[in-house]
Amino acid sequence: MTGPLLSVRGLSVNFRTPQGIVRALGNVSIQAGAGEVVGIVGESGCGKSTLAAAVGNLLPGNAEIAAGEIRFRDRDILRLGSDAQRQLRGREIAMVFQDPMTAFSPVLTIGEQLIEFQHQMTDVDKAEKRRRAEAMLARVGISDAGLRLNGYPHEMSGGMRQRTAIAAALLMSPSLLIADEPTTALDVTLEAQIIYLLRTLRRDYNGAIVVVSHHLGVIAELCDRVYVMYAGEVVESAPVDALFHQARHPYTRALLECDPARLDQPAEFLPTIAGEIPDLTVLPDGCSFAPRCALADDRCRIRPELTSLSEDHAARCHRVSP
Amino acid sequence: MNTLLGIANLSVSFPLSSGLLDMFSADREWHLRVLEDISLDLGQGETLGLVGESGSGKTTLARAVLGLVPRSAGTITFDGEAIAGRSDRAFRTMRRKAAMMFQDPVASLSPRRKVGALLVEPHIIHGEPLIDRAEAAARLLALVGLPAAFADRYPHELSGGQARRVGVARALALNPKMVLADEPTAGLDVSVQGEILNLMARLKGEFGLSYIVVTHNLALIRHVSDRLAIMYLGRLVEVGATADIFRMPRHPYTRALLEAEPIPDPRRRRASLAIEGEIPSILNRPVGCEFHTRCAVARDRCRGQAPEFTRYAPGCAVRCHYPLE
Repeated sequence: MTGPLLSVRGLSVNFRTPQGIVRALGNVSIQAGAGEVVGIVGESGCGKSTLAAAVGNLLPGNAEIAAGEIRFRDRDILRLGSDAQRQLRGREIAMVFQDPMTAFSPVLTIGEQLIEFQHQMTDVDKAEKRRRAEAMLARVGISDAGLRLNGYPHEMSGGMRQRTAIAAALLMSPSLLIADEPTTALDVTLEAQIIYLLRTLRRDYNGAIVVVSHHLGVIAELCDRVYVMYAGEVVESAPVDALFHQARHPYTRALLECDPARLDQPAEFLPTIAGEIPDLTVLPDGCSFAPRCALADDRCRIRPELTSLSEDHAARCHRVSP
Repeated sequence: MNTLLGIANLSVSFPLSSGLLDMFSADREWHLRVLEDISLDLGQGETLGLVGESGSGKTTLARAVLGLVPRSAGTITFDGEAIAGRSDRAFRTMRRKAAMMFQDPVASLSPRRKVGALLVEPHIIHGEPLIDRAEAAARLLALVGLPAAFADRYPHELSGGQARRVGVARALALNPKMVLADEPTAGLDVSVQGEILNLMARLKGEFGLSYIVVTHNLALIRHVSDRLAIMYLGRLVEVGATADIFRMPRHPYTRALLEAEPIPDPRRRRASLAIEGEIPSILNRPVGCEFHTRCAVARDRCRGQAPEFTRYAPGCAVRCHYPLE
């Protein structure tokens, strides 16, 4: 195989709403290679979940892909027929969502659901599928996995359900795992456990993991490379260390400064970003962050391109240069 | 510092019925002990952070202080007066001087009423005379930095941050002495949560308010609270000055909570897990120290004997046989 496992190129997605067309994604390009954990970080409305949904082919009915391609193993999956797309989603691409409460049907046992998730494996009998499900539950750290298979989702706590959702996603040994805010609904102690679990899993997992989160701490703990999104665009991409220590885009810097966990000394007043995210139905012509940017000047009335700063670091800002 | 709120030996329990059989076994009474023997003070002008995982009882404690859930034992003293009884009437005076900011500001506002009407509602409920409602609403909106025109909006027309501001304005409607804020920034973006906390800090100074902030966000509470109370399974396990607790937590649970918080710096990734397992069910409280099932330093004594809540300095206490040094 040549090129990365996943390569999204110039993706634009619009939503039709009663208020007009919302440009949820504009010319977004990301890549994820085998064995890599890629983070997508941004605040609400930045398009990070839309991007995850587009890759997982889970966009809602009012969404329209206006431009771009999503290449997986060098094939544009947007051009595949619906059967082929479904095949791909079951076997090769799996997702874990924020809410572990709604990931499972409440009326079927965990075992029935974990067996059903393997329906594409036609050459394996049911007993073997059950054995695989049990082994996977044990692998994500659920004790008494055999007994748990006979239980229902409501009998599990939130943390256990999220572990089970991860087990379900990994059952078909997908080569791409997309985790959309996998720890947001969990307490901090369970969040730490899920971060730990994802880290252990990646050690013997050869696929790519894409983690979508608004939480900078989660991104720092898990990812190798990070894309920062703002108003439907990637504004900066960098290896995790460079992003947290040499951020170049003013939005990335402001976002990092706002995180109270990064302040070593107690502060009486917390840093904020003045203003609000732009209305995505009427985008400004220039840089979308300019109205909130302390450094904005005349140049920012023209939309900046993504500028390469080094081999793997880029930022969408007129003020940056390599 | 004068004490504004005193909570002594407060317990809350709910009767449990497990079905029809209960009707025939009168001798068996089941109670869900949600809060156990809480004693805690809030000083005038102080901000107290109430911290714990989901199910630790922190929200129930805030609600019990205002009588929104009935206490089964204990006393509450507010502004020099003990609250006699558990009825709404007993809490009426206190609720005028102590306001609650609920966790989900949009859900806690009636969707059919405009912001202006919602802001003067506390006056109507408490029978406070109001000469000019529009002017009162405008004054409250100005306090929280919103234009007067917001009085004509419905709650669903507000952004998350704006809805929180309306929640703050409504809490301040009757000039309270104390505000109980339940997760005041949950669900807000990191660039907006600072705005709300800065607003609360400014108003605290302006009006001499005291705050109880219920939260699970340790990174945030560190910057806004003077003292912390850490809860586990409905009990206080540690109380102390925020700076001291962050510098040297005494209870193993507090330390585990602090260490579980992900650090936004890839150079400081944690190598090991601070805490394993999950908070047990309160239907099945562990014997002895209730934290021993997850405690990294538990010994035999912890499995058999429940530790007392022991003071080690004024305003500092810890519930542990072997506090960390």
